[in-house]
Amino acid sequence: MLLLALPALLIPTMVLCYIFWQAVPVLNWGFLSGTADGVGFGVTEGIFSQLVGSLLLATMACLIAIPFALGTALYYRTFATPGQQRLMNAMFNMLQGIPPIVFGLCGLVVLVNLFAWGVSLLSGAVVLAVVVLPLLVLNTLVTLERIPNEYSEAGSALGLTKGAIILRLWLPRSWLQLLTGLLLAMARALSETAPIMFTATVFSGVVWPDSIFSPVTTLQTHIFYLAQEGNDPLLISIAWGSAAVLVLLVAFFGLLARLLQKLGGN
Amino acid sequence: MVANITHEVFPQEESTAPIESSQKQPSAVLTVEKLALNLAGKEILQQVDFSLPAIGVTSVIGPSGAGKSSLLRCLNGLENGWSGVVKIDGNDIRQWPGGWDQLRRHVGMIAQKPVVFNTSIRANVCFGLHGWRQRRRAEALVKTSLQQAALWDEVADRLDALATTLSVGQQQRLCIARAIAIKPRILLLDEPTASLDPRSKQLVEQSMLQLAQEIPLICVTHDLEQAQRLKGQVIFMCDGRVIEQAASHQFFNQPQQIETREFLRWSVCDCD
Repeated sequence: MLLLALPALLIPTMVLCYIFWQAVPVLNWGFLSGTADGVGFGVTEGIFSQLVGSLLLATMACLIAIPFALGTALYYRTFATPGQQRLMNAMFNMLQGIPPIVFGLCGLVVLVNLFAWGVSLLSGAVVLAVVVLPLLVLNTLVTLERIPNEYSEAGSALGLTKGAIILRLWLPRSWLQLLTGLLLAMARALSETAPIMFTATVFSGVVWPDSIFSPVTTLQTHIFYLAQEGNDPLLISIAWGSAAVLVLLVAFFGLLARLLQKLGGN
Repeated sequence: MVANITHEVFPQEESTAPIESSQKQPSAVLTVEKLALNLAGKEILQQVDFSLPAIGVTSVIGPSGAGKSSLLRCLNGLENGWSGVVKIDGNDIRQWPGGWDQLRRHVGMIAQKPVVFNTSIRANVCFGLHGWRQRRRAEALVKTSLQQAALWDEVADRLDALATTLSVGQQQRLCIARAIAIKPRILLLDEPTASLDPRSKQLVEQSMLQLAQEIPLICVTHDLEQAQRLKGQVIFMCDGRVIEQAASHQFFNQPQQIETREFLRWSVCDCD
């Protein structure tokens, strides 16, 4: 058993160690706080604008997805018939399995071209929202299912309407778990590269987006571009540095989610 | 316990004692006619008929699976796939103004397991209050409700403490206080003392008897001694049907039905 478990533990650990080992030479305050000058395809040492771009996209995606996820989960729990529940369960589990690049392609056709939003923060955020939506919905469903029926019935017995039960009983009781799900969704959004390549990011010419209809630069696509420049050791080390920062960012949201889970007693 | 009860149940010297008759009770607040409930193809309630006097406790007893809790859920609208006619003060509850949510404000319900909300004792009591009129009187309501639930003396100095810090018995009495704060017309209690220690049980019963002087209570219980202590009337249910309904004294001393006698003696019912 241990022999089988060892590779599963060792390989990711070794990969992480290698990333950070390679990143050490470039990881310093200037690297984190410096911004690209908008030319040269982002080939400058600072990654602050990429860092902010990634966080902006992930945050916007989650903000867009939250009301839909919450609404869907509440409909499922409150009004859906058993048949609808089965259908919704199957649909969200299937959506979770669709490769994100497919969503990216749909985003390119519909949002970028048809709606003429262009390659922009908004297009990328909407596509990312669709990617994280199943995760958020399923997490919200699990959270709501943990609320004991007696708790809701105690509210019903006082004459509370369904809306009042949701607002006054369910949400105050489960906000910590909902926040946990949101942080996991943030981590997932930060991990995605393919859907935003066609819809939100450019490699050059942008430092900060002027509006939601402007493109952004992100850590994910920054790494992608730099990795293609395999001959230049400086660029490769910047790519490793960016990768380490991205891993730390994803780990931060993941660990925060776990901490909240513990606080919530789950 | 059963032996003790059955011994008390048919004492010879009491057999000629005057029987409390339900005919002496004031006019009915609640009437149930031909109530039937079918869940997943199983008949849970069949042709249930009874009425509830304006005040006093009505204990519903019977073996597990008799449909006692389902009966309460139908009356409260938590279960609404039933057929038949249920009237409160002459009004059909299916046509209740404002629907089931409004009905539940008139028909309070206390579950077997106390469920307090994760907020203060005061906020729990006020949880069901609606509108500025009720909220304006909230402070007075908190006190009177807690007094009626026999909890005031224990929590008067810590109304802002979390309700979850109370003992199970206190939580159950808090649930009663919360239910009566909205001034229900009828209060339903589903085995309210099942999970309580003897002292808490006594306090809850005391609170119920006090409440029963003002409103009608229906209390589902497995505890026959408790049904005797609560007096009022007793409804014996088995297999989804009302087998016998009588004043408590009459029910325990002169049961009319053979199924009732069997149940009182051996706590079993074979009514098929």
